[in-house]
Amino acid sequence: MNAETLALVIVVVTALGFDFTNGFHDTGNAMATSIATGALKPKIAVALSAVLNLAGAFLSVAVALTVTNAVVHVQQSDGTPDPTLVSDGGSKLMMIVLAGLVGAIIWNLLTWLFGLPSSSSHALFGGLIGSTIASLGWDGVNWVGDGTKLDGVVGKVILPAVLSPIVAALVAAIGTWLVYRIVLGVAARFTSNGFRWGQVGTASLVSLAHGTGDAQKTMGVITLALIASGHWNHTDAIPFWVKLVCALAIALGTYLGGWRIIRTLGKGLVEIESPQGMSAEASSAAVILASSHLGFALSTTHVATGSILGTGLGKPGAEVRWGVAGRMAAGWLLTLPAAAVVGGVMWAVGHVCGNTGGPIVVFLILLALSGYIYLRSRRTAVGAHNVNDDWDGMPTTSPEPQLAAGGVA
Amino acid sequence: MITPLTSAFGEDVKFTVEAIWKVLLASLVLGAGLCAVFALGIRSLAWGAGGDAEVSHAQGNPAGRIVAGLLFLVVLYGVVAGLLFIIASGQGKELTFSHVIPWIQAKAD
Repeated sequence: MNAETLALVIVVVTALGFDFTNGFHDTGNAMATSIATGALKPKIAVALSAVLNLAGAFLSVAVALTVTNAVVHVQQSDGTPDPTLVSDGGSKLMMIVLAGLVGAIIWNLLTWLFGLPSSSSHALFGGLIGSTIASLGWDGVNWVGDGTKLDGVVGKVILPAVLSPIVAALVAAIGTWLVYRIVLGVAARFTSNGFRWGQVGTASLVSLAHGTGDAQKTMGVITLALIASGHWNHTDAIPFWVKLVCALAIALGTYLGGWRIIRTLGKGLVEIESPQGMSAEASSAAVILASSHLGFALSTTHVATGSILGTGLGKPGAEVRWGVAGRMAAGWLLTLPAAAVVGGVMWAVGHVCGNTGGPIVVFLILLALSGYIYLRSRRTAVGAHNVNDDWDGMPTTSPEPQLAAGGVA
Repeated sequence: MITPLTSAFGEDVKFTVEAIWKVLLASLVLGAGLCAVFALGIRSLAWGAGGDAEVSHAQGNPAGRIVAGLLFLVVLYGVVAGLLFIIASGQGKELTFSHVIPWIQAKAD
């Protein structure tokens, strides 16, 4: 195996690794509320979400080859790589993409360790921005687009991140308030049963939409690497095996379930009842679908979190744990720069180690850091067995209640 | 460089403001609105069931079930439209509502 092929294999494997973290990081967006209210058993919920993500990934035949164009200039507008980056067999582009992916994965794993729902798309964009700045300089980044449409870091990342949670929270708060007003006087036993159905239905829509949107990003990145290394030359189609492995990776990640994040979303932010769960997921589904219809790029995570927060605001007497919300917001602010720093450092490390050794060294660093974070997570394991335990006190078997620290406002 | 950068920034803000209002309105109708319709359906079901289903323990009224069925149909219409929208956008197509029943068609542009 020569150096170019090895680099390609490493990029593909790392991209699938990112897709996998994307899956388990976002399980909670759709399923946390159904798990918290008991509408679905935890294992059933993640299995349903995994199947819908798988189906969603296969539904997307539209090619998302230009995914990086939103934030960096490494591709041309038709999706083919910038020719100056592939003149040496693609290794320049490979290094940028690989370092960006590693930045995204590390940030996804860290936020998962702390139980913070953060956007996987922002982590990916952040990683790519960092590795692009390191290699091509400040001008390699598409900061604001060209002014003809919503584009660039500002238009596709920052503005949506600020506004979409607010819109979702508003919609969910109004939905929750209406629902509780309307069913006033109906026996609680009677309503909770009905709303569980509504919850499962709306949560399923969110899962399906997630699979269609997010798996495409990894498909686009892998196909870009294949084009850069000369293994693929269509810009209007994706190899079937790429679609298959991406769909499987995101579904497997979803099934694994990011229990730490599910717990924060379902139990930490607001104590959720089934009418709130339905309002939250309906709001998420509506905001995600309306935005994608209007070409407004947003993160499922920000929308889902905003919606859940909104149900806490909309239900009379409900409590929102603002401490938890504050930690999430801090995590969101950090996502782009933090992933960018990791991406930039990884690019520098890979660059120093050369075209052959660079990808290998960067990949080994990724494995070492991931292994370390995984081992840390075992100290305070959160799984299907304790995901719904009371938020106060964090009664896991662990000696180090990490999530509870600062978790209560 | 400064001038085109800031003007593109301004354009981004303008496009965002234009889009976010539409997102908010559509989401209010589809998200909060359909939730309210679903809740009305639940309420009608309880009205139809009567007895323990309501705090008032009033006698059930059969019309409640019919009204509930109609309300749930409205919700179902919204959910099916959402489902078709996901499928259509995944295929690079768009949704048409021109025949009342939402259906997938090739993009107009």
